[in-house]
Amino acid sequence: MRSTGNDIVSLNAINKTRTKQSGFYSKILSPTEKNLYHESGFAKMPFETFVWLLWSLKESAFKYLQRINPELIFSPIKFAVNHLQLPAGNKIKNFEIKQTEGVGFKNMDIFKGKIIFGSDILYSISIINPEYIVSIVNGTENFENIGWGIKLIKNSDPNYQSIAVREFLIDKLKTVLQFDNLVIGKNQQGIPIVLKEGSEEETLPVSLSHHHFLVAYSYNFAV
Amino acid sequence: MTRKEILDELKKVIAPYTTNKEMLDSINDQTDLIKDLKINSANLVDIIIDAEAKYQIEIDYDSADKMINVGTCIDVISEKISQKNEEYR
Repeated sequence: MRSTGNDIVSLNAINKTRTKQSGFYSKILSPTEKNLYHESGFAKMPFETFVWLLWSLKESAFKYLQRINPELIFSPIKFAVNHLQLPAGNKIKNFEIKQTEGVGFKNMDIFKGKIIFGSDILYSISIINPEYIVSIVNGTENFENIGWGIKLIKNSDPNYQSIAVREFLIDKLKTVLQFDNLVIGKNQQGIPIVLKEGSEEETLPVSLSHHHFLVAYSYNFAV
Repeated sequence: MTRKEILDELKKVIAPYTTNKEMLDSINDQTDLIKDLKINSANLVDIIIDAEAKYQIEIDYDSADKMINVGTCIDVISEKISQKNEEYR
């Protein structure tokens, strides 16, 4: 079954002091994962950014697997990040534009990761800049068919976020799928699905996320 | 503490993390933290940490996993308070 999972963390909305307290981060990171910070060259990155990077990987992995197993419960500590690789260039840029979208991640400075949950092995790509962390999880290492988007919005109200991310994705899918009558609904488990209006047939798996003044989507149109 | 007393305190723990103040006044056991109160998942750890401080309890991973709606939050907090009281006897 095709799936995708994504997550966005607004680094302007996190509590940096609290994140650095062991009582907080030890609810998210295992001792092995905490060691990754020192062992894998991440120590140049603020520790709070590292903690939220791992959070975003775990949450994205959960969203990926929840589509396959709707009964799944999110338990951050049970999603094990066992590999994390810095971008070759490691040039962290500011988010100077209001939105950015793409398909695949060719020629981009990305963080690659691997996440284990039980017998499942998942792969991740993350984009980090001073404003946000965005992670996307896939079942294979091939992300060529993963579409993604990140947008700055005007209002952080949850209802506004929800409408904004759906409009953002639908605008993109109209050009990708070349259908005008697409709507984003939810299946019985509350997982977002893209439908042709009037039809109950799911067209492709999508994942939506929002935090503070930022929204993001991912979709997977691999056959 | 009765469930009602825990609920009243729990509302104060949750309040900083929801913009849905109207719903917060009328929450019941079935109220879902994410779906109904629109709490961002990034704040779930904050709620657990704040609940630990408020009730002076420790919430382990397995118990934290159960804290999905108001009813299960009260269940976990109530159980941890009882365990703490047993230890002091």
